[in-house]
This record gives sequence, structure tokens and C-alpha cells, in this order.
Amino acid sequence: MRAPFRIIFEQRAETPKYLSALVPFLSVLSALIAGAIFLQATGYSASETYSNMLSDGFMSYRGITETLGLSTVLICTGIAAAFSFQMNLYNIGGEGQLYLGMIGGAWAGLALGPHLPSFVMIPLLLLIGALAGAVWIFVPAFVRSRLGTSEIVTTLLLTYVASSLVKHFINTPDSFFRAENSAFPQGRNVADSAALSPIGDTRLYPTFFVVVVLALFLYWVVKKTEFGYRIQVIADSPRAAHYAGVSANRTTMSVMLLSGALAGLGGATLIVGPFARLDQGITLLGYGYAGIVVAALARNNFAGIIVSGILFAGLRVGGEKLQISTDTPKHIGIMLQGAILLFALGGEAFRRYKVRAVRMKAVAQ
Amino acid sequence: MSNTSHEVASGPYHSGGAAPSALSAHSVSKRFPGVLANDSVDFDIQPGEVHTLLGENGAGKSTLAAMLCGLYQPDNGYIARNGQRVVLGSPRAGLQHGIAMVHQHFRLVDRFTVAENVILGSRNLSFVLDRRSINERVSEVAESYGLPIDPNATVGDLSVGQRQRVEIVKALYQGAEILLLDEPTAVLVPSEVEKLFENVHAMTAAGKSIVFISHKLGEVVEISDRVTVLRGGKVTGHVSGRGATDTKELARLMVGRDINLGVQRASHPIGHEVLQIRDLSLDVNGVSVLSNINFNVHEGEMVGIAGVAGNGQKELADTIAGLITPTSGSVSIGGALATDRGPIHARELGLAYVPEDRLGMGLVPSMSILDNLLLTRDRHVVVDRSSVRPEATRLIDQFEIKANGPDHLARKLSGGNAQKVLLARELSGGRTATKLLVVCSPTRGLDVGAIETVRRLLDDARSAGQAILLISEDLDEIMSLSDRVLVLYRGAIAHETPGESANIATVGAAMAGLTTGDNA
Repeated sequence: MRAPFRIIFEQRAETPKYLSALVPFLSVLSALIAGAIFLQATGYSASETYSNMLSDGFMSYRGITETLGLSTVLICTGIAAAFSFQMNLYNIGGEGQLYLGMIGGAWAGLALGPHLPSFVMIPLLLLIGALAGAVWIFVPAFVRSRLGTSEIVTTLLLTYVASSLVKHFINTPDSFFRAENSAFPQGRNVADSAALSPIGDTRLYPTFFVVVVLALFLYWVVKKTEFGYRIQVIADSPRAAHYAGVSANRTTMSVMLLSGALAGLGGATLIVGPFARLDQGITLLGYGYAGIVVAALARNNFAGIIVSGILFAGLRVGGEKLQISTDTPKHIGIMLQGAILLFALGGEAFRRYKVRAVRMKAVAQ
Repeated sequence: MSNTSHEVASGPYHSGGAAPSALSAHSVSKRFPGVLANDSVDFDIQPGEVHTLLGENGAGKSTLAAMLCGLYQPDNGYIARNGQRVVLGSPRAGLQHGIAMVHQHFRLVDRFTVAENVILGSRNLSFVLDRRSINERVSEVAESYGLPIDPNATVGDLSVGQRQRVEIVKALYQGAEILLLDEPTAVLVPSEVEKLFENVHAMTAAGKSIVFISHKLGEVVEISDRVTVLRGGKVTGHVSGRGATDTKELARLMVGRDINLGVQRASHPIGHEVLQIRDLSLDVNGVSVLSNINFNVHEGEMVGIAGVAGNGQKELADTIAGLITPTSGSVSIGGALATDRGPIHARELGLAYVPEDRLGMGLVPSMSILDNLLLTRDRHVVVDRSSVRPEATRLIDQFEIKANGPDHLARKLSGGNAQKVLLARELSGGRTATKLLVVCSPTRGLDVGAIETVRRLLDDARSAGQAILLISEDLDEIMSLSDRVLVLYRGAIAHETPGESANIATVGAAMAGLTTGDNA
């Protein structure tokens, strides 16, 4: 009661359009400011760090191609997350489905690669990776649509199983996936026909363009097709869906399977792209989890995910270069990612509420 | 006790010695994005007075009430309590000034007892609750205003009327001098309304002020000392004196034109049977919800189903619409069996269904009018919106829906306009031409102008030869529109009578389960 005024959150009747665009932008800006304070406080120059990250992540030829290359998998896991989130289904196991996509892709590349030409092998490998991701989410999808079991718990826990599966395939002595003549346990390279060459001397693979087109295609599917229409009806009001004879069970099943397939596809792009083999290092990279952040920043908008996917990839690339070129720890990039997510979620409050200060004087008892 | 002044409330400091108003608003304005919800509105209420805020939905009644109780702050103008200017920063601040609002949708905890709900939010409770003395005080407050209620009863077990009483007792217990009742009769049956009005009189006799918010003209005239009519956010009239005004005058102030809500019956002879219900029974979790129902509805006929909410009306409608599979018995539409074939099949047989719950069941709130029109229609793999757009525009025009066009979101429509969108979709036919129209509470919560439109639309559909099943808790509506009236009580048909000879006392008694009579 001592404060001269008090802050009131008033619900907005509608969110102005400009705000929907402004909030993600301001979230990123606020996160950068928060990061700057942290950097200065720990004895690093914020301006130097940021300009290094900017040039290493976005502004140099090497940096931007590296960023776009990394964004390929982040866009995949981003649309995988968003595809389920938009129907209020929370598949947070994209990480595990990504591993399965890698396992499936690597299997295809090893088993079928030697017998098939590249133009058949590459699409087939991507498809098998996507299928493997879908298989991994099948049980969570089934029990969610029939019994209402929380998909959050089931998809998350299966990630740990998937992680163990990757390690099993690499560390088991006679594993099909393991390279035979190596001192350290590591994956066997897929057949040449199953690996794409990067563009020029970069680490950018053509799969990037495939994924961008896929994101735009899904944007169209959601906005324009009967399937997208059903998703929107069920997401907003299950009772209206029941009333109109739209089957929530079937749509739940399809959406979750597709979500898993998209994450699996992300894993498969790593096989045809930079990895070319099953690599247990993937379990330390968190590309699947990053997809959740990418989707959240873009507010599940598939076109927006292309932008946020590239942004996050740039932060990671720029952050890693930092450690090499300066003594700044690379974790600053990861910290900024976390800060962006926090500010983006916090920014939602400003989209929904109008903040007003009300003078308190006259309200005295 | 009643103030008969026709004037707009004067300022608190120059009222020439007269006692200041208990609560007043002085040219308050409130703007929301796109609307000026209140435009320089003046309002005042004296102790012991019932002052009604009358207006259509969206006229600004609720906005004004929200500012009077501290839920919103005015953009311009100010609120005064006993002549002193106050800023009510929150509903709690309002309560500190003795102002409490009883919301249309109750804010009670079902699992708590009456007494627990009443003391909920009090700040001066001891760590260990002294239940006995709390119960005594709650009963004392309740009985002093003629609101007897058992403080130990669990709120979840109470009827709607009793819950409303708990809300009122809660406000009084918290020391409210001014009560704002937001559409309090909307959820009550006729006998409960009578009871509420007795309570209102008891409260005003004790010096409390009641701000009554309503759009039901009959009860406004009955209960009010003064009426302030709002239209489009502006005050269109101050009317004084109980019973001195006729409802036509109020309706004109409220809507801006004359209104007709008279009796309408089938003007053409009725045709073949369209809906046939045979021995229909439904058990839910072992409890009988519908038992052995038999009736038909013919072409060009409107059959009204009266009953207190929760006597199986919703389940009956959902069963006919193919959303629920009955335990036994059958539903046929146009001679074809519709039972257990799902909602799409029922629609292919010519069913149109306007459910009671508009936003959330009948309409998808986050979707546009255009997309909502597509909800019960055949959509292609790629939804073809451009070919439906001209029709959407035409329907918006024909049904006089206030919207910015086909892309207007359903959740941004007022209740009346949402209902018109729903009726527009269901009346215009989807998969096949409509033969049978099932409508539930089609005018609930609508304002007079919209009620008139909806009733006319239903009458037109009947004249066009559609069979109509009208399910409503609004007895007036059933009586003035139906060619035949059935009363549903505990899931069975308790009474049946032709519309023109229906007797409100007999039908009312059947609704209350007092008779099992089979003729009027």
C-alpha cells in the first residue's frame, strides 16, 4: 500500500498486429542486453563478443554457410515441435525421434546404399529416417489418442531410451553400425551414394533447401487444407469437433506421427549431410530440444521457424567460434539461447495484456 | 425512497444540500480497441434504491458495472462514493468501499461449503478457523435479508438459485452496501426469480443499493425504482418510477425502434412426419437420463420442449443429432434410421442442429465466420474458401450480422451475432437441404432486437416447411412459438399440449414435477 502507484495487467481485447511482430524482436534484443550485462560483469567486452559472434555466425561467407547448414536440422526439429504444439499436443521428445531418424538413415545408407544409385538412395534414406522417427512416437501417439496418456511424459522418457539405443549400436563390438577397424567405438560411414556433397567448400548441404520448402509446404497445409482445418478445430474446441463429426482420435494420431517423422527427417539430414554415419556425439548436441525453443520463438508459425531456426543456428555457430578465436566460453551462445526463450515466453504477457500504472493515493482505506 | 428525478446526476459538490448519491459515475468513458464501450456515461444510485442498467448486449452495461466495482478504470471521468471521488484500483478496493458485484457466472468453489465460500478472500481470519462462529455469522447475515441457507451445505450440491444466494450472502457478509447484480435472472427459473426479487426488496428495505443489470423488460419494470437505458455506449434515457413505464417505451430506448415479440404459430397446414422418436432411452454411467421418449415432428411444425435445465434436454438434442448413441430406442429423420450413425450421417439425412453452447460447440471461437460456415459442410482436400466467400458475405447481409466481413473471428462477435452466424449456417443447408432443425435455447442471453430476429428466422423456416424442434428453458418463448408443447421432466415427457391452448400454470407445474397429467 506504500507504493504511489501499482502496475495493473489489463487483458487486451485483441492483440495488435505490429505487436505480434515486435515481441519476438524485442525478446531477442532483451536477451542480448541481459547477456551483455552478464558478459561485462564477468570481465568480457560485450560489444567485442557480440561483433565477433555476428561476423562469425552471420556476416562472413564461412559463418553464414555454416549457420545455414546447422539450421537445416534445427528447422526440422522446430517444425516437428510446432506441428504438435499447434494442436495442443506437446511432443517434447523430438530429440529421441531425431536419434531414431539417424539410426534409420544410417541403416539405409549402410544396408541399401551399396546397391542403389544416389538419386534413389538419398530420398529413400530421408524417408526411412522420417519413418523411424514416426515409429518412435507411435506408442505415445497411440496411448494419447486412445487413453489420453500424457504425451509429454511418454515422449520425453523415450528420448532416454533412444539415447541408449544410439550408444548401444556404437559400443556393441559386432554392431552393424560400428566401424570395424577403429580403435575407438565410432559409426561406420554410409555408402557414397547415400552421402551428399556440400555446396562448394562450405558445410551447407542441399537438404537445407529441401527443409525450407518443406516448412513452407506445411505452412500451406495448415492454412489451406482440410487436414489443417481439422487441426484448428480440434485445437480450439474439441466439442465443436465432436459436433461436426471431426474425429479427434484420428487427427491426434496423424499429427503426432507426422511430428515424429519430421524430427526423424532432421536426423536423416545429418546422415546425408555432415555426419555420414551414426555418431554418438549427437546425444550431446541437443538439436531436438533446440527445436522446442525454435518453435516457441516463432510461435509455431512454420514460416517463422525458418527465421528462428537460422537465428539459433547462427548463435551456436558464432558462440563456438568465440571459443576458438577469443577466450570467451562458447557457452555464451547457449546462454543467449536460453535467455531468448525466457524473454520470448515472458513477452507473451505483453501480447495478451496491456500494462498500466494506476495511482494508489485515493484507494487508501 | 425512490428518486424520481429525470436529470442526469449532478456533481457531488453542488447538489444544493441534497444527500450525495451512494455511488455515482461522472461522465465516465472507456475505450477498448475498436469500440468506445462507454461514452461520457453518468449514473448514480441512492441508498435503498434499485437502479437498473438496461441495454442490449454490447451497449456498455457490463463495462459501466465493471468500472463501478473496480474491475476496470475509466479512461475519462470518475467514480464517486457518497459524493467523494474515489479511484477503485481493483475489485478488492471496490469492496473496501462497500461495492460488490455478483457475476452472472458464479465464482464459487464447488467443493467448499457455503460458509467456506462466504469467508473465502476475507483477510482477517484466524489461523485456525472457528467454524461454529463463522457458521453463525453467515446464517445471521443470510437470514436478516430473507436468504435462508445452510452454511454447512456443499456448494456443488446446491441449485443454481441457491448458489446465486451464496454469492449475494458473500457480498453482504463482506460488508457490501451497494450490490451490482449482473443479469441475475438469466440463470433462474420463474419461481427463483420471484424469490430473488423478494430478497432484493429485503435488501433495499435495509438501506442497501442494488444496481440491477438486465435486458429483460418485464422484470426491469417490475423491480426497478429507476432505469438508465444504454445504447451503443451512450445513455439514451433515464426513466423513473416502478411500473410507471410500459415495456414498449423501454424497448424503443434500448433498440432504437419498435419491437414485436408476439405469438407466432404455423400458418400452413403441417405435412408428413420428419422426425420420429421411438422408445428412446439413455443411461449415462448407470443413471437414467432419458426414459422411453416417443414423439414426432412434422413438416412445417414447431414442437417446443419445455423443462428446467438438466432434465435431459441437452442429451435428447445430442442423441437426435447423432452425437450420443442411445441405450435403446431409435431416431429417424425423413424416414431413415439415424441412430448410431454419427453426426455426419444425421446431417446427410437433412438435420441441422443449433446447440445451446454456441461458442465452443456450435462455433469454433478462433476461426473466422467463413471457416465456421464450413464446419458442418463438405470440405474438399484443399479447403475451397474462395467459392464460399460470396455466400458468407450474402449470409452476413441477410442475417444482419454485425461483422467486418467473412474474416471476422467468431470469438469477437457479440452473443447475438454469434447466434445469427450459427443460425445462418444451420438454416442455409449444408450437405443437403435442411428438413429438420433442432434448436436449443436459441435466444438465451440475446438482446431484444436479436430475439425478435431469431424468432422471425425460426418462424420463416417453419413456413418454408422445415420441421423444428425447439428446446428452451424460456417458457415464454416455448409458449409463443410452439405448435405443440412437451414438458421434459427427469428425462421423460411429463406433459403434452397443443401450443395455442397451453396453460402456463399447468406447464410450469409439469416442469417442477408436480403433475404427471397428460392433458392441459
